[in-house]
Amino acid sequence: MTTPSSTTPETARPAGPPAGLTTAEDCAIEVGEIFARVFRTLDDWRERIAAAVPDRADLDILVESLVVPALLASAGSPAADGPPATESLLIGAGFIAAPQYVNGRDAHFAWWLGPLASNPLLGNTSGASRLDLATRVHTEYLRDFRELEWYAVPEATNQTHVTGPYVDQLCTCDYIITLTMPVRLGERMIGVVGADVYVKRLEQVLLPHFLALPGPVVLVNQSGRVVISTEPTLPAGDILPNRRHPADGFDLLPCPGTPFLLATRVAIATPAF
Amino acid sequence: MKAQLRPGAREAIFAQLIEAGRAEQVARRLTDAIILGVLTPGERLPSEQELARRFGVALITVREGLVILRDAGLVETRRGRGGGSFVIKADAPHGTLLQARLRGLAQVELSDLAVYFSTIAEGCAERAALRASAADAERLHAWLLHADFSTTAGARTNAGGFYLELAVLSQSARLVREQIRLQAEFGPLLLLGLGDPDTRAQVTGLNGRIALAVSDGDGQAARTLVADQVRLLGEWLLTMKARIERGGHLDDAIVDDA
Repeated sequence: MTTPSSTTPETARPAGPPAGLTTAEDCAIEVGEIFARVFRTLDDWRERIAAAVPDRADLDILVESLVVPALLASAGSPAADGPPATESLLIGAGFIAAPQYVNGRDAHFAWWLGPLASNPLLGNTSGASRLDLATRVHTEYLRDFRELEWYAVPEATNQTHVTGPYVDQLCTCDYIITLTMPVRLGERMIGVVGADVYVKRLEQVLLPHFLALPGPVVLVNQSGRVVISTEPTLPAGDILPNRRHPADGFDLLPCPGTPFLLATRVAIATPAF
Repeated sequence: MKAQLRPGAREAIFAQLIEAGRAEQVARRLTDAIILGVLTPGERLPSEQELARRFGVALITVREGLVILRDAGLVETRRGRGGGSFVIKADAPHGTLLQARLRGLAQVELSDLAVYFSTIAEGCAERAALRASAADAERLHAWLLHADFSTTAGARTNAGGFYLELAVLSQSARLVREQIRLQAEFGPLLLLGLGDPDTRAQVTGLNGRIALAVSDGDGQAARTLVADQVRLLGEWLLTMKARIERGGHLDDAIVDDA
């Protein structure tokens, strides 16, 4: 993944969310910057984890000390003054060690979840809770987590990867985007560090900007999956293009450093019905 | 339409929450897991505090539920370090308990359960067909290709997994949550028919066609095929219920995992 372009004076925005960015290009850059901040956090975690001794208990303590403050910062400040901190987007984070790395055991999950509301598996939690795979009987059919996109792709490409948006049935049971980064010792990948971005919190951050634009915009991933939209006929989860929205109806602006694109209407839409 | 025309709707908001029978619900959930082999003999249950948190009930309710399980001879409680509640190795096959469970549900409850599960699963499948990307559909086919449906245990795990995957592909967090909840509550019972080789072959034979409907973007076909699957499972349960009510027995091979 390439580093997003640095902020230019034109993209500097006035303080406070309601003002909004004025062009779709600014919005695309903002999306890139939001993800760049999460990547920087992951990069910091990755260095510390790679430098640590591969002892199960020590690693767990280290990862917990890194990720839990970020997850608890998430819960605190959704609105209030100024734009929300990067951390406030995260609903889960941690390190997943490759098999055999930690004490010669199977794959090891050091993964924490932020406070959850009416989670079908954990109920309501006010603090951070650790993912306990043993309680995930309903995911036994997933034979090997290494086949899952958020692990398999960074392993295969040695690149940072963005998975989703998707409904995560393993932890949050909610709509999220997962960012994972390979952690390497020399030639060997010892695991991935990752963070789950809550789509509904990302929407809180971006929607004021999107609504300030003159026409509807739709944030999609590389598959055309809608993340956030101000076009009512293209809700989150839909795929663009589809039967109602042909591909030539939209211009696509890349969001720097991310696999996301901002789609804007090419022409005045004709009413659907 | 004015709100006043529907006074019942307002009253329903403040109706008493179902508190009675919560201990029984805890006991039933764990009993199902034990008699259907999801929890295995010798396995330690989570602590009482953990169970209370997970079920979202009071500690006292969990304790009452565990008393029911102890009285039924399904768990024993050991004190001290390394203590807790452990699943007892059954002397008799759990078939008798399972029969009791089937007798405890009326036919009308069983068929209603199948209707509800089917409605959720059909909706998941239709949405999955409308929303799956080409890569999603490919992953579903690849998973199915390697999923083992040849044994009772494999078929039960993977049938539950298949329905959950369809929910995931629908992109609806609510449908995923409901699918997880339904499977926790009724999965073992509903998937019981997969212990019967004929039913298993018929049900699993439809999986590939459902995956094809998803990759074709054919929501109606996906819906119909899933409805066929759940109908087979529901009819098997009703057939067994009738057999038991006539004094017959469940085949142990169906109950125990192959």
